[in-house]
Order: sequence, then C-alpha cells, then structure tokens
Amino acid sequence: MVTKRNLLAAALIAPLLLLVLVSFIVPLGATLYRAVEDAEIPTILPNTTTLLRQWDGKALPSEQVYHSLITELRDAQEQQKAGPVLNRLNFEETGLRSLLLQGLRASGRFTGSTKEGLIALNPRWGDPQFWGLVKRSTGPWTPLYFLRSVDLKLGPDGAVVPTAEEEAVFIRLFVRTFEISLTVTLICAVLAYPIAYTLSILPQVWTNIGIMLVLIPFWTSILVRTTAWFIILQREGPINALLISLHVVDQPVTMIFTRFAVYLAMVHVLLPFAILPLYSVMKGIKPDYMRAAASLGAPGWRRFLRIYLPLSMPGVAAGAMMVFMLSVGFYITPALVGGSGDQMISYFIAFFTNTSVNWGIAAALAALLMGMTGVLVATAWLLVPGFRAGGVRV
Amino acid sequence: MKSKFFVSAMTSLLLACALPSLASARDLMVVGFGGGFQDNARKHLFQGYATEKGVKITDDVYNGEMAKLYSMVKSGDITFDVIMVEAPEMVRACEDGVLEKLDWTLINKDKFIPGGTSACGAGAVGWGVSLFYDQARTPQGPANYADLWNVQKFPGKRSLRSGAKMTMEIALMADGVPMADVYKVLATPEGQKRAFAKLDELKPHIVWWKSGAQPLQLVGSGEVAYAVGYVGRTIKATEGGAKYPVQWNTLLFSFDYWSVVRNSPNKAEAMKLVNYMTDEKPLMNLAQDWAVSPATAAVANNPEVVKKNPGMVASHAKEGLFISTDFWVENGADLEAKFNAWVAK
Repeated sequence: MVTKRNLLAAALIAPLLLLVLVSFIVPLGATLYRAVEDAEIPTILPNTTTLLRQWDGKALPSEQVYHSLITELRDAQEQQKAGPVLNRLNFEETGLRSLLLQGLRASGRFTGSTKEGLIALNPRWGDPQFWGLVKRSTGPWTPLYFLRSVDLKLGPDGAVVPTAEEEAVFIRLFVRTFEISLTVTLICAVLAYPIAYTLSILPQVWTNIGIMLVLIPFWTSILVRTTAWFIILQREGPINALLISLHVVDQPVTMIFTRFAVYLAMVHVLLPFAILPLYSVMKGIKPDYMRAAASLGAPGWRRFLRIYLPLSMPGVAAGAMMVFMLSVGFYITPALVGGSGDQMISYFIAFFTNTSVNWGIAAALAALLMGMTGVLVATAWLLVPGFRAGGVRV
Repeated sequence: MKSKFFVSAMTSLLLACALPSLASARDLMVVGFGGGFQDNARKHLFQGYATEKGVKITDDVYNGEMAKLYSMVKSGDITFDVIMVEAPEMVRACEDGVLEKLDWTLINKDKFIPGGTSACGAGAVGWGVSLFYDQARTPQGPANYADLWNVQKFPGKRSLRSGAKMTMEIALMADGVPMADVYKVLATPEGQKRAFAKLDELKPHIVWWKSGAQPLQLVGSGEVAYAVGYVGRTIKATEGGAKYPVQWNTLLFSFDYWSVVRNSPNKAEAMKLVNYMTDEKPLMNLAQDWAVSPATAAVANNPEVVKKNPGMVASHAKEGLFISTDFWVENGADLEAKFNAWVAK
C-alpha cells in the first residue's frame, strides 16, 4: 500500500539497497558472468572471429582464415595480449598453446601460402575439428566452464562427453564438500543445543560469563585458532604427550592432517554461530508453556518433544543455516589442518582464481556451489517441519 | 543537545570523506616472497637505493599468487611497482600483458649471466629446493630421491611442495629417470602417468606444504621426518643451530626475476631500482649477510662470494636439475590441474 509511512520507510532503505546493489550484487553478477563469457577470441582476434563465423564448419576454412589468425596472433603477441587466447584454447584442449606458438614462430619462414605451410608443419592445422573448436570459442558465450565443473566436456564433434579420469575431480569434491558441511552442521546443532539451553536458564550473572566464554574465541582470528589446533594435535603436542604418559598408546597418534582434525577445527570455529541464535530464541520461550504442560500431566520427554523443541526450531534453523552456509565456503581450515583428501571445493575455486588465474572455471564452480547450497537450504525450508521462522504448532 | 550532536556528527562525516583526497602519491612498492632474503634485501637493496636516491621505498610479501597482479592491471589501480616472480609465471604474465617489457636503456643488460634476463624480467636470485632432515632426530637419512621413496628403510612422514612443479620431476628421478631426460619423459603422457604412479606409492606418507616456512616447521616440530624445502632457508636454519644437512645431489633450482608491473605509475623509477638491485656493489653488501645466488655475473663468479656462500645455487648447478622454464610455461596449467585432481582423490 502506498502510504506516506511506507514511502518514508522505502526512502530510508533506498540508500542501503543502492549500496548493496552497487557494491555487492553488481560485482558478484559481473564475476559470475565470467562463467559463461567467451570474450578472449572476439576481442583479441576480431577479424578471424568474423571470418570463422561465416565459415560453414564442414571442409577446411580458406587461406584467408589461416592468414588472419596468424597475423592477428602476431600483433597480439607484440602488444602482450596473446596470453588470454592461448590460455583459453589450451584450457579446452591441452597442447593447443604450443601448436599456436609453434605455428606463429614458423610462419615467418613460409614461402607458399600460410595454410599449406601450417599443415605441413603440423597436421593438426588441417583438422576440421580443430577449427570447429576455435569456431566454438568465438563466443559470445560458452558452456565450457560449466560443463568442466561437472566433469563433462564438448567432444571433437561438439557432443557432451565425460572428461578424462585424471581430470574428473569436481563432482567428487562437491559431494565431499556437502558431506563435510552437513556433518559439521549436525555436530554443531547437537552441541549447541544443550549449551544454549543452559545459558538461557541460568541466572543473569552466570549467563553473562557464559556468553563471554562463547564470544571471546568468536572474536579471535580464525587463522590463529586454526593454527592453535595444529600445535595441539601435532605428534609432539600436548594431546599425544598426555596419551603416551597415561599409557593409552605407545606411539603418537596422527591427528593433524586428517578428516578428524578438519571436523574438530571447523566445529570449534563455527559453534558460536550455532549457539548465539539458539540462545536468543530460547531466551524468548516462556517457561509458562512448560509448566502448563506439566500441570496437564505430560512427562519431561513429552514436554520437551511437543512444546520446547518446536518452539526452539526457528533458532535451530537459523543456527544450522548459518553454520552450513559458512562451512560450505570454508577454505583456510581444511587447507591448514586437513590432508590432501580433505580439501573442499573452495580450495579449487581459490586455486583457479589466485594461482591459475582462470576466472571462467572459478566463476562456474562458485556459481554451482551457490546454486547447490541454495537448493539444499530451500529444500530444508520446505520439508523440515518448523524450519520456517515462527513455524510453531502449539 | 540533540542538534549539537548532529552538527558534530555531520562535521566528522564530511572530514572523513575529505581525508582520502589529502593522501599523497604513494611510495615505490617492492613485493617479494618474504623470508630471510627479503629482510636482508630490505636493508641492503631497498634501503640502499632509498638512501642513495632519496626515494621512499616500502616492501610487502606475497605467496606467488598472480591473481592480485592480474586484477590490479585490469582495474587500473596499481599498488605494486617491482615484483619478484618465478620464471614460468613471469613468462606467462609477460604474454598476458601484466608485466612491463623492461627498458634496457635503464637496466644494463650485459652484467647478467647467460639466461639471466628475459623480456619482462631481470635475474634476481637463484633458488633451489633439496632434500633435508633433522640430523638430531634421524642420524642417517635418505641420500637421494630413490631413498626418499623407501619407507621401510626410512620410516616417517615426508613433506613435498603441493604443486606439480618440482614434485613431478622428483617422482621421475625417484623412479630412476636420469636428470638429463626428466623433461623429455615428463613431456609425454606416459611419462606423466609414470610420475603420478610413483607419487601414488608415497602418497599416504606425504604431508604437503604451500609456503616456504612450512617444511622447516614440520621437520623442526618432528611432524615429518624428511622434507624437500628451500635451500636458502634450510642453510639459514643450520646457521641458527639446527642440524639440517642439505643433500646437494637432490637440488632442483631456478631463478627468480625482478619485474615491473604493467602501467605502474612509478615505472621509470621502478626500472632504475631493478638496475640498482642487480648491480655488483649492492649485491656484494647483501652477500655479507645472506647466502645469495645472484644472476649478476660479477657477483656470481666472485671467488670470495663463492667461498663464503656454500649455499650458492650457481656453484651446485652441475649437480642439480634446472627447472625448465619453457616446459612449465607450456605445460604448467595442464599439469597443475591434473596434480590438483590427483591430490584431492
């Protein structure tokens, strides 16, 4: 309803909306767009792009196309712009980078036509499927990155085929990421419940101390806390020293760089996110309901299951959602305390962003991760009773 | 009361908005890989230039991750001027237009050893990795890579660098491929499969490291028994009292280059700094405090320096394997992706 009050409210929110749009949604959208964008070849080899788009894709392209490719690539190389084209093609099929560079180097010495020279140099230049691949890369969009993120690729004739065994890792990683995240969420929810309950029923003085005990580690840097686990869990660390001195084990137990260490450190870091929303919801549950149920004859467990648990579900939902969404994107903790078999998908997103500088696949993996997380949360929202805020059946 | 607060709040808000415009043009920024080298370089190279020319220089550390450089150049907001890069990254960044082609009128090209310069880089330091272990814990450790794979004779965890570069060469050498043929074999798909198969053998015993300080920390804390780590840091640790004998026959070495970031606002000054940092006198000063392996001929061939720095990579070049820049520029992206897939299994 367009009332003066609503307009005022909208006007007050407008700056925040603008800020979120400009500093969050627009850059995020631009980065994710890279997952489908195929701008390297159209930008750097414009003439070749036009010619290839006109090519019918059946027999080999004409001499004009060969010549245009070599000329534009040489110009690009001089201006230090050739890299993106080489990397883009090499990502689709390994070996194309050296094929192109070899052709470029040799082209200065050709006596006849460029086409003949190149085919004589390397028969791949005379393969229509190679040119089909280049034509597919003239954009403006490509399914390459999304396909690769689910271990698929476009075969020589353009059909979708699975990638080679040694490169097919992403599906396994997605499964592992959700497996670890769901486990951590479950452990956090189970651990946080009694803690939050205790905090909510204690007298105020003790509650304040308790909240401080939760908040102070929360405010400590994640890196510091994760590194501390390394020191505690190492072979010559305090836990192993204790176990050996109590003669529980003879040899130090390997705890660091294992899945156990990852769970331990992640739960440690994420527990406050589960405790605090739960605590605030539980604080708002009136003890009158429980007393009323008791006066009607319900035993303790039934009071808990029928009254308390449903009332506290919004807190559980909020805490679980936060823990889940945070753990899905976790990168530092598994990288520091986990073994090589414990890395999550975020490690690869970071690798492709930072080291390999292949933002296409990084964006595709990130978009997929976001989508899958969204679907999972939406499913929980719809299916788990009481997950929606205020879903109370009294 | 209310309006006073309001006025003072608005004033401070306005002042805060005005502050950025008061900031002056930034100082020359040099970025390196950190560690003891950078601490000593700061004293002799960066501050040496700063004092001579009256220019202010700040330095920072990074882990070799190129994305920051790429996004910097793309966005036009350049905060680095001079950067130290490994050889294949430099070649690739040069091709991608992220580094400036060096101006050889500002930098004297003749003072370098053969291969010490590239279009976008001037040779800074030689570096290497080698096998080492804590002699206090393990009196007799593995002497070569084949030994490193022998878990019965040499029990305990091993630490290798998390990445295809260097690790795959090590796997092939452990499998018996002679140094001269390593890259020929590694260039073939069968050779790559062979390297991964060899690594599969050792995988359950490997702890992977990412940053240069980790292998020293892991060996020092007893978490791993044997590691492959940077020679410079290992030698420095030995000077500091630890007993980490470097196995020189297991050396893999290469050069790092000083490069200038594309479109840097301090481009000319940056190139002059690179020229200073590769000159004989500053490097001789640096050699007093740090075991350098320079690419500047006069220093690398100086008998005094060679005698004082047993850790100079150039003196052990014949025993070790030179990490082929060309090979890794060609195959780096592909092999790193394969390695990451393999390691995550």
